[in-house]
Amino acid sequence: MNIQYKKGVLELCVLSLLGKHDCYGYEISEYLSKHIDIADGTVYPILRKLRSEGLLTTYMQEESGGPPRKYYSLTKLGRETYEKERKEYLDFAKRVEILLEDDDNDKK
Amino acid sequence: MTRNEFLSKLADELKKNNVVDYEDILSEYEQHFAFKMADGFIEEEIAAKLGNPAELASQFASGDEDEKRKGNKATTVIGLCFIDFFAGIFFLLLMAWEVVMAAFSICDGVIAACLIANARPLSIIPPTPWFPGFVIGLSLAALSVLSALGCIYFAAFIRQLMRAYGRFHQNTKAAASGRAVLPSLGIYPRLPAKFSRRIRSAALFFLVMFTTCFVLGFIISVIVSGSLEFWHAWGWFGYKPVN
Repeated sequence: MNIQYKKGVLELCVLSLLGKHDCYGYEISEYLSKHIDIADGTVYPILRKLRSEGLLTTYMQEESGGPPRKYYSLTKLGRETYEKERKEYLDFAKRVEILLEDDDNDKK
Repeated sequence: MTRNEFLSKLADELKKNNVVDYEDILSEYEQHFAFKMADGFIEEEIAAKLGNPAELASQFASGDEDEKRKGNKATTVIGLCFIDFFAGIFFLLLMAWEVVMAAFSICDGVIAACLIANARPLSIIPPTPWFPGFVIGLSLAALSVLSALGCIYFAAFIRQLMRAYGRFHQNTKAAASGRAVLPSLGIYPRLPAKFSRRIRSAALFFLVMFTTCFVLGFIISVIVSGSLEFWHAWGWFGYKPVN
């Protein structure tokens, strides 16, 4: 699938995951590549973009037996944006589904 | 591709794309390698799954809105300085008007007090018999209160206008440097409903009082002095009264 096409939806998936709890970069990358077929490296540009837009903040946290990890956390703006875009996406997806299923019926 | 090959290729591509703080980005990928290797993957496999470094670097460049905006940040700041200068003059003008209104209110109050008490300190009040002076004094007192109320509202207006402008200033700077923008503020003051209702009814009351007392004072003065131009009859302008 086209990467530009996927990117907007991936942003939404990242926001959704961070809405549940704060994560470090690798955790997000693993979570996404488990569910969606993308190159592992794709998630880092997305995280950076979301941060520069003010939807995410980062903080460092010491871990036992390892270097400190960079955690990502949703800002208030990020939470609001997620709620809004989630609704928009679900509505959009529903409409597209109706259109595409119509296509199926026409052929029969 | 090994870990080091991948990272140095990525660093080169990031530099080529003018991405700032690429060390920060590289450290994310280093961590990715560290986690994957701890899970038993080999370097080549991890690098292959990460994707093409050139392609990844170009995604950082396109997502890097900061960079594009920084180019015109200086222009925005210079523009803002210009606008600030003129806005500053405008606010000074408004404040001057506030001062004039306050001074008017105070002077009015003093004259009204003198007329009502029939006092003539330093002979600043032109000669006026007590009763017509008293009625005119009442009207001036109402005018004084009216302009004081005007002062209060106008002060709130200037304050809100300056806050709205401050927010605009802040947002313009934030937008130029890619930070989040706050909602803009309205220019009309939002006074508590009860307070603004009271001010409105007080203003109406004093307006009516001013008009009535002024007209009444004029009529009484004409009757008492026996002349339509009572100011001549009472010699307000320094010459002897005409009989």
